[in-house]
Amino acid sequence: MKKIKFLLFIILAFGALSCGKKGDDEKPKVAVVISTLNNPWFVVLAEAAAENAQKLGYETKIFDSQNNPATESDNFENLISSGYDAILFNPTDADGSISNILKAKEAGVPVFCMDREVNSNDAATAQILSDNYSGCVEIGIEFVKALGGKGKYVEIIGLVGDNNTWARSGGFHSVVDKFPDLQMVAQQSGDFDRNKAMEVLETIMQANPDIEAVFCGNDAMALGAYQALQAAGKADRVKVFGFDGADEVVEKIDEGKIVATGMQHPLVMAEYAARYADEYFKGKRDFPQRVPVEVELVVKENAERFLKK
Amino acid sequence: MNKELLKKSQSLLALFALCLVITLLSDKFMTTTNLWNVLRQISVNVCISVGMTLVVLMAGIDLSVGSVLAFSSAVCAGLLKSGLEFQSFDLFVGFTVLGGVLVALLVGLLMGLFNGFVITKFSIPPFVATLAMLTIARGATMLYTKGIPISNLGSSFEFIGSGWLLGIPLPVWISLIVVLVMVFVTKKTTFGRYIYAIGGNEKAAFLSGINVNRVKLWVYGLAGTMAAIGGVLVTSRLNSAQPNAGVSYELDSIAAVVIGGTSLSGGVGTVTGTVIGAAIIGVLNNGLVLLDVSPFWQQVVKGGVILLAVIIDRKSKGSK
Repeated sequence: MKKIKFLLFIILAFGALSCGKKGDDEKPKVAVVISTLNNPWFVVLAEAAAENAQKLGYETKIFDSQNNPATESDNFENLISSGYDAILFNPTDADGSISNILKAKEAGVPVFCMDREVNSNDAATAQILSDNYSGCVEIGIEFVKALGGKGKYVEIIGLVGDNNTWARSGGFHSVVDKFPDLQMVAQQSGDFDRNKAMEVLETIMQANPDIEAVFCGNDAMALGAYQALQAAGKADRVKVFGFDGADEVVEKIDEGKIVATGMQHPLVMAEYAARYADEYFKGKRDFPQRVPVEVELVVKENAERFLKK
Repeated sequence: MNKELLKKSQSLLALFALCLVITLLSDKFMTTTNLWNVLRQISVNVCISVGMTLVVLMAGIDLSVGSVLAFSSAVCAGLLKSGLEFQSFDLFVGFTVLGGVLVALLVGLLMGLFNGFVITKFSIPPFVATLAMLTIARGATMLYTKGIPISNLGSSFEFIGSGWLLGIPLPVWISLIVVLVMVFVTKKTTFGRYIYAIGGNEKAAFLSGINVNRVKLWVYGLAGTMAAIGGVLVTSRLNSAQPNAGVSYELDSIAAVVIGGTSLSGGVGTVTGTVIGAAIIGVLNNGLVLLDVSPFWQQVVKGGVILLAVIIDRKSKGSK
């Protein structure tokens, strides 16, 4: 009995200690942990998240995980020990990042996932997700429409070890594979890279000069594919589809050079995440686990709405 | 047949064998368009790898080439796009294509010289010094571009990467000139002989009166310049500078150097060998895509070929 009392005392003491640390009216600190800053899209997401949190009056800092769950783990350890109070988080890996989130959870730091999800329902406080799969289902439907349900096409996928690559490819194929007359003549990786995608398509066109469409797993690759087609004098015959909503692609859609892309909304996701953290600090605890942020289809008819002036 | 010739014909033989296999598997390989594609695609790696060859000949290594490529590419694009503005003097300086390219090459040269300076002045191992530069130059690229591509640089600049001259793509001309100049430098100049001497035995080279540090400094400077040439080519082909351009290019260029028969311990190897090495990698990349091999397998196959090349290289050296 004595032992239990002693244990209880210890626990209470520690509880009191960790409460005492935050007792004063010091403003909470918010960390933004981003999968990579080596890609413009994620730079926008990270900066928007930091700006939103700053606007709400919090001190923020961005941590770059360099697409590496191990670096991410170091980031989490560092920021927990330096007293951050919430994490706006863009995970590197759906499974590999779970243990990092749990580390934060144990330390009493809430984690709000942005854009990419983790395969767990009780690790993160909330996950604000861009629905890559459904977004590419939309692209798939547009793709079938544009091709009239038949023809040869090429798919250029992103980094083969990235879960967004497969979510996008999966959504696209869930529609397109129902049409037996749509024949995929090549599926190659462009590593989400403009130059690589261009070179890969140059080569594919040697083996398959009669393709009618190219679906690319992101917009950088769609631009590379378009350049390869343009150089081969096929840009007006072969239809290009992308994903992300990059400004350059939206312009090309408006000019009728690229058919469609899926517009993701990093700014919306960043705003949600920052607001949730704010609400958490004010005492709210019941957040929906998954908040899908819709991916909008951009085609020639509505491209003007998305153009940056 | 002398030994060097034998070794060179070995990698050349490997290249022919590879071409033969792919030709048998796909009738699209041996077409003029495809071969021009391959040559244009390898031109960037050829430029970088030729610079890398000089470094490796001195028993050094340059891990920073991919990042130096990205930074010079970004600076080039930035100057072409928006020039330089000195607000305090109310002065705006615009850049012509030539101006932008020259500044890019200068940036590459300076970053290379900085590598050489750190390596010789503080006797830091090249691996460490250039590893640091890899991160610094990548970070500088991110700072300069704010992580966003710089695009639409004008059609005259685009011509460098996608134009043709006398029926040959311009990037192929450029890489050819780079190769010829460097073959001349390594074979016919004292500077070239110093490089081999330092790689063969640095102490002996020093004792025989060669200014080892100065040669090293300029070799790293040259490697940086070559990376910048590669940067101009990539930027102009895409008509856009990508902040993540050139990631892991150092590995492709080291692979080209090693497959081409240059010894990582220095003193042995040739520029032409490296060109064959780069061609092998390029043909392999092209063939694997032509045959629509799964992207998962491609990496395994590429690694296997590098391994095989080095094993053969070792064997031929062991039996001399």
